[in-house]
Amino acid sequence: MSARTQPADAASRRTAVRLALLALRPVIAVYDVRWTLLPPLTGAAMLAMLVGAVIVAPREAIEGEVQRIFYIHVPSAIAAYLCFSVVFAASVAFLWTRNMRFDAVARAAAGVGVLFTALTLATGAIWGKPIWGVWWAWDARLTSTLVLLLIYSGYLLARSLSDRGDVQAARYAAVFAIIGFVDIPIINLSVRWWRTLHPEPIVTRLPGSQTLPDSMLAVLTLGIVAITLLALWLMALRSEVEQIGVRSDDLRGEMDRREAQRSGAA
Amino acid sequence: MDFLEFLFAGFAVFWAGLFVYLLWLQARLRSVQREVQRLEERLAESEKKEAAEEEDAAQ
Repeated sequence: MSARTQPADAASRRTAVRLALLALRPVIAVYDVRWTLLPPLTGAAMLAMLVGAVIVAPREAIEGEVQRIFYIHVPSAIAAYLCFSVVFAASVAFLWTRNMRFDAVARAAAGVGVLFTALTLATGAIWGKPIWGVWWAWDARLTSTLVLLLIYSGYLLARSLSDRGDVQAARYAAVFAIIGFVDIPIINLSVRWWRTLHPEPIVTRLPGSQTLPDSMLAVLTLGIVAITLLALWLMALRSEVEQIGVRSDDLRGEMDRREAQRSGAA
Repeated sequence: MDFLEFLFAGFAVFWAGLFVYLLWLQARLRSVQREVQRLEERLAESEKKEAAEEEDAAQ
């Protein structure tokens, strides 16, 4: 590469980092208030969601009280999609900029996303048993959600087997995470593409079709806000763990370097 | 047909899952913080030792 093109590359990389940071600004804003505003706000919202789901929301006429699982099941799925969207954005930003901070953000978000996907599947199975008569069915939506869980569990496993600072492993993981994200639109459209046990969306239906009553919609919205805040807080916490881990790796590298220097001198 | 035991199980699994995850996260945070502290102390010690060795060599 000629000396003339190197400054242009550096400038375009700096612009790329700036644009990526701009795109992740909402996440960074949450990260700034992670120890002050976010925990009490999340706690209050979770408490309100619990009261809303168990006491305030009306009893569903056909399914009865067990339908209240809906107020944690749907928000958990939405929180998982949000986490995997962060993984996707951070992976694209990493491939674009080669900045390892984006890899740490992607790993943190993937961990929280896997938690919420597992909670979605578990609450769905508990809700499904009395209503469908089975804990699990190889239905398109359930299966594609299980595939999502396996994809990002595999991503986390592969990333945990390599060093945090391994750029090549981070690059392969980012590509894997971006390809894995394709499963999310498949999950969403699965109930329209195939005949499934899982019901079709009742919140985002076409105008004029039957939707959720306002009282149920209000509690569901509260649940979505509460669990989204919780997911953001968990991502910030996990990201802190990843960043301290990176610092620990740096220190270990420095120790090894010094020891090598000393043994070389001896 | 309310299946209250399933409603209870659903909420219990959700809260227990979150609680276990938070405990695990806290344990990992403490462990990496301790590791960083230990490494920083070792590094400071090694710097001190190097400085003392350099001083001895100069004398």
